[in-house]
Amino acid sequence: MLWFRKGLDQPVRTLTPKTSSTLHGLSPGRPAPTPSRDAAPEDVCPTHALKEHDGVMDVDYTQCIQCRLCRQQSLKNKMNWEEGFHWAQMTSTSLPDAFHHSVHVRVVDAGDCGACLNELHQLASPVYSLHRLGIAFTPAPREADVLVVTGPVTVSMKETLEEAFQSMPTPKRVMAVGTCALSGGIFSSSFAVAGPVDRVIPVDIAIPGCPPPPLALLDGFRLIMGARPENPLDGRVRK
Amino acid sequence: MTGFLLFLSLSLAACVLAFVVPGHWTTRVSSVMGSFAAAALVYSGIVSFFFHSWSLNLWNLQGWGLLEVGEPRLPAFFVVVTGLVFLPVSWFSPEYLKRLQPRYDLRYFVLIYHALMMAIALTFLARDVITFLLAWEIMSVASYLAVNFEHLQESHTQAGYTMLGASEAGFLLTLGAWLPLIAVSHSIDFSAIQAASARHHFPLSLGWAVMLCSFFGFGVKAGLFPSMSWLPRAHPAAPANFSAILSGVILNLGIYGIIEINGVLWPIHNPSEGLLIVVIGSVTALIGILYASTENHLKRMLAHSSIENMGLITIALGATFTFRAAHLPELAWIAGIAALYQILNHSLYKSLLFLGAGAIDAGTGDLEMDRLGGLARRMPWTSAAMLAGVMAISALPPFNGFISEWLIIQSLLRSVVLKPTIDQVIFAFSGVIVALTAGLAATAFIKLYGMIFLGPGRSAASENAHEAGYGPRWAMGSLALLCLILGVTPTYVVTGLSPLAAQLAGGGVLGGLIPPFFSPRHLPRSLGQTFGPLGAEVGHHLLPGPGLVFLYQSPGPSPNVVFASSPSYLAVAMGIFLALSYLALRIVKKHQRVVRHEPWQGGVRQLPADAHYTATGFSNPIVVIFQAILRPYRPVEHEQFLASHFHSAVQREVRESYVVDRLVFYPAATVVQSIAGVLARIHHGKINVYIAYALITLLAVISLSLWVFP
Amino acid sequence: MTEKTLEHILEQHEEMAVTVEPNWIRIAAPASRLPELASQLAPEWAFAGIVPENDPKTQSLRLLYVFYARNGPWVGIEVRNHDQSIPTISNILFAADWQEREMEDLFDVQFEGHPQLGDFVLHDSHWPEGTAPMKRHSWEIRQKTTESRNLSTPRIVEASGSFVMPIGPIFSGTQEAIQFGLETVGEEIVFAHIRPFYKYRAVEKLLEGQTPSVALLIAERIDGLTAFSHSLAMAQAFETLAGAPVPPRVRLLRVFWAEIERIRSHMQVLAGILESTGLSVPANLIQALEEDLLQLSGALTGHRYLFGLVRPGGLSRDWSDTEIENIVDRLGTILEPSQRILDALTFDNSFLDRLEAVGTLSLESASTHCLVGPVARASGINRDLRVWQPYQAYDQITFDVPVQAEGDGYARFRQLCQEIVQSYRIVQQIPPLLPAALSQTEDFGITQAGTALGYAESPAGAVICCVSANSRGMVERCRVITPGLVNWHAFPQSVRHFAFQDFPIILATFGLSVADLDR
Repeated sequence: MLWFRKGLDQPVRTLTPKTSSTLHGLSPGRPAPTPSRDAAPEDVCPTHALKEHDGVMDVDYTQCIQCRLCRQQSLKNKMNWEEGFHWAQMTSTSLPDAFHHSVHVRVVDAGDCGACLNELHQLASPVYSLHRLGIAFTPAPREADVLVVTGPVTVSMKETLEEAFQSMPTPKRVMAVGTCALSGGIFSSSFAVAGPVDRVIPVDIAIPGCPPPPLALLDGFRLIMGARPENPLDGRVRK
Repeated sequence: MTGFLLFLSLSLAACVLAFVVPGHWTTRVSSVMGSFAAAALVYSGIVSFFFHSWSLNLWNLQGWGLLEVGEPRLPAFFVVVTGLVFLPVSWFSPEYLKRLQPRYDLRYFVLIYHALMMAIALTFLARDVITFLLAWEIMSVASYLAVNFEHLQESHTQAGYTMLGASEAGFLLTLGAWLPLIAVSHSIDFSAIQAASARHHFPLSLGWAVMLCSFFGFGVKAGLFPSMSWLPRAHPAAPANFSAILSGVILNLGIYGIIEINGVLWPIHNPSEGLLIVVIGSVTALIGILYASTENHLKRMLAHSSIENMGLITIALGATFTFRAAHLPELAWIAGIAALYQILNHSLYKSLLFLGAGAIDAGTGDLEMDRLGGLARRMPWTSAAMLAGVMAISALPPFNGFISEWLIIQSLLRSVVLKPTIDQVIFAFSGVIVALTAGLAATAFIKLYGMIFLGPGRSAASENAHEAGYGPRWAMGSLALLCLILGVTPTYVVTGLSPLAAQLAGGGVLGGLIPPFFSPRHLPRSLGQTFGPLGAEVGHHLLPGPGLVFLYQSPGPSPNVVFASSPSYLAVAMGIFLALSYLALRIVKKHQRVVRHEPWQGGVRQLPADAHYTATGFSNPIVVIFQAILRPYRPVEHEQFLASHFHSAVQREVRESYVVDRLVFYPAATVVQSIAGVLARIHHGKINVYIAYALITLLAVISLSLWVFP
Repeated sequence: MTEKTLEHILEQHEEMAVTVEPNWIRIAAPASRLPELASQLAPEWAFAGIVPENDPKTQSLRLLYVFYARNGPWVGIEVRNHDQSIPTISNILFAADWQEREMEDLFDVQFEGHPQLGDFVLHDSHWPEGTAPMKRHSWEIRQKTTESRNLSTPRIVEASGSFVMPIGPIFSGTQEAIQFGLETVGEEIVFAHIRPFYKYRAVEKLLEGQTPSVALLIAERIDGLTAFSHSLAMAQAFETLAGAPVPPRVRLLRVFWAEIERIRSHMQVLAGILESTGLSVPANLIQALEEDLLQLSGALTGHRYLFGLVRPGGLSRDWSDTEIENIVDRLGTILEPSQRILDALTFDNSFLDRLEAVGTLSLESASTHCLVGPVARASGINRDLRVWQPYQAYDQITFDVPVQAEGDGYARFRQLCQEIVQSYRIVQQIPPLLPAALSQTEDFGITQAGTALGYAESPAGAVICCVSANSRGMVERCRVITPGLVNWHAFPQSVRHFAFQDFPIILATFGLSVADLDR
């Protein structure tokens, strides 16, 4: 009771689309496709995310770990950098209507370094307050609509991940969070990594980033819920 | 009388036939004869209870009086209960005994079984002190032989001796009640004693002496505090069919003794005596249920639960005696109904549960709940019957246990009408204990059913269990059905028990608890207007009798409804709700595809059997909460290490001693031993001194007898 | 004191070859003498871990047992492994238990007298015993076709009705993947088993053959929440190998960001503790402040978790003096409410009841496990690499290392609170010390083969990193000893004899990262 009152005394911390636009550090940003003549060379990228294509240095976001080596000071040409958080991509053809109002989410750590998990955890903080958007974390996949997988799937976690997926009721969707989950990232060549998530279970939403910031995660959740407002913090948008 | 004679002849014939027919027929013949004998017993009891009692003079013992047997209402009630237990046990036995065949001679089993049945019947029917005591002794010996039937196991022999010793001690104590009764009435005949007690007014101290000796003496047999520690030892040792009889019938003998002396022959006139009975009953019930909920051996657990039920019966009896002594016959009658109902219920569901234990033992060879599990899939019939038994004993409607426990609590709550505050406090406390007991009983029996029948099999034995055959299934099924019937038609059962309860209570009319809803002309208008529209008269075209509603109104100028309930209508409503929900589910699920998947186990595909909750784990919170009572239930831990830091084993043993042993018997044994140590000094082996002892004893006896019978 | 003991020990073992390098003494000992040496060092030296390295002459594997002490040189005992077994020292130093099991699984080194070798890092359900992936320079790892996974925690409790309560690998909210087997008879945890390495990513194998620049990127992804300290430890090893001095401004700025990371990481652990005790209001308030710190880091370094900030020889960017001062001011405004919340908690009985005398780890137990970090300091061990072996600019800065005596959950809670205060104190001292001149060593390169040690006190404890590089500047072998590897080992001890409902609370007070352990 005491804490309840103390909590009411605090100012409202929850971000709104308006306040979030004035803040820095919500998103680290990521390299943007750059004309080849101004771009950093392909071989500077440790995860081979840079590919030249028709005179444009393209970025394969499923590989990019945002290490900023393509912007280091010693380079003559640097990659362009884009801010923002509309990073989520749909990789399956359809999403069920059943998710329009509320989704329950189970997070599976399949070899995560802790950063993606912490960003997911941060979503539950008053700053992002994902509950108000109708999203809730559940303790078991049995009650989950969406399985969020982070980390390159390690050999030891592969079966467990399959088990979690199979335990979910239909309709179910899988969201792969973080570059590691999309391609293995910097761990892709490790012998103990079984491969990206889509090699184990079908992925419907991919959110690249190392780690993707909370707003990018929210963007993914909003996409799965069938709405994709300009700012994922906008609670009023309904399809 | 025909029924009784039929019973006697059938039983005797069974004993003879056992030694005549070929070996593999023995048990089947015994089963047939036993069931007919039990049926004859039930018939005899019902006839005597409802229509006319009979009596039969056996022998005129010179100088003492007539020896006779007879069947008034009280014995008739117990005889019916006895027959109802023996009947299914007879069906159950042949298959169950098969596994004992290689090592034991089953002809003796048949002999003991029928001798026990006859001795029990005789004990109930004895109408004079000598016959009663003789029959009692035969019964004691026969039940000792029954417990000790698997005598090749040493623990069983010990349990048998403990039981025999306790039984004999109780017997001696009851003499302390019989002798004054004989002395004051100058007769051994029960009717003469009853007449004498009604005629004269005897001193308070004599009343107390009779009450104490009879209550605690018969209390030994009934497993009441402080003399119940033989019970959890003896019941598990006996073969399961005998365990059912021990719990379902022989415990009733103790209760019968208490009622016969304190309720019929020498009715209690002093409320304090009734209060003592209530207190002892509460203590018994609490201790019984605490140990039942922490015990994990199925039969031992059931034995502890029998103690609890005996405690409940005793509380109800105590309430009856108190209300009667306080001249509140109406309430005494309700408490009496509760006591009799509870006796009937306990006999039925406890024998059902013990037979189920026997079926499990036969099917798996194990009775330890920690090692059993998942039997519902392998033993569906046993499982269903046990579920009924478990629901009944946990006092869940629509089964019979609910009604008797509800009536017990309701009658205890009427303590407000008692005069002295102390009486009210004791009744209120007992009410609390009964409620606590009911809660703990539910926990204990959820554990029983959950651990044994649900979940995964925890051992190879439970994985390979096999279902019981037709005999045991019929036995358990009929008991389960009886439990259900007694739970659905309680008003008729109460109507039947009413005259006996009125006899014990010294008054009370049926209308006080069951208003005549089915014959509304006799119904007060206010009641009819209030309860009629609620459905209290539903079914009056079909059903005979007074109605299906319990309703008690406080007496006085403006009657208030104190409590009311209709278990029958409740059962019907439950049935309708269940059927409707089933139908609704069927309709909703018609177009849904159901996918079955293993339970979620944290991402592990298969958990080993030892990664599931055990009975010990389930009851651990109770152990922790009631540490004060179960006190030396302390784990002692030993750790073993490898290479100085690596744990190789953590051994934990639980040392427990039964609370009654700890508080009563071990101190008593120490005192007795030290006294015996002092007295041992007079044994110095000189013959002249020993002759002097004999002389002194003789003088003492003569002077005592001169003083007592001048 | 320490020096004297060392001299004394060395006198006793005159026959052994001793190499003295700056801050680094290596003793080449025959395997049979190892237990004796270890037991002589044990009272004053902390056991850091076992480092496998290639013998430069024979190219065969040898093990280096690393010890460190306060203000003394690092001591390494070189033991050759001529394909015969090495005596275990886990009976003397229990801390060596997991390290030996790890060596056995990854390098196929047999430790004589260790009772529980096998099925540790590489789960036997996926890799046959004897796979030893790190022994060879090869990527062809035999991998078994997977078989159905069972819970395979051992059973050691012998009591009627005892059972295992399995937890994980997937459990509760956003927890990392690890499995526990809690042996119990009902309410109380009689014994706890851990089954880690569900998340084994073979970081040490992955590091082989990488350039320093990429190696740092991998090192910071060992544990994302203490990324800066991990990459800092490794960067120091590379810098020692390169022999290039780090500019003073960089040294100070590294301390600056390391302390900000410590504050943020401690905040995260505190929020976890509060959440586990069910106090969601303060938990959420602290979590919001953690988000402020993340935003601060994100705005000023380009990464919310300080990934990619440490570069060999420097930092990936520089900040103007006003920026640095603004950061300190902002930190002050973030920490001020957090202090109020944490102070109020010390008067909250329902909170204290859940932490006090819960999950106690005695000083004795903490020292047998050679614990590191706040967990060790909460149990009374004053062990902090920032003071014991000052690195970067820590020798220019004054601060206290708080120590608690009780070793219970509340001591760990207070420890974290007090360390936040000290870290802020360190951060405040830095702006005036910063030299104007910058900074970056642009042409960083390792030209000489060798082995070097780098270490840092991460928020969770000592990160010790031993890197062998070849003459082309590539990593040849690398060993990262993380605080997770050390502290998780002691965790099962602390939950014994506590009730189930205490388990998540004790887990939270340890603030352990599974990624840090699994690597």
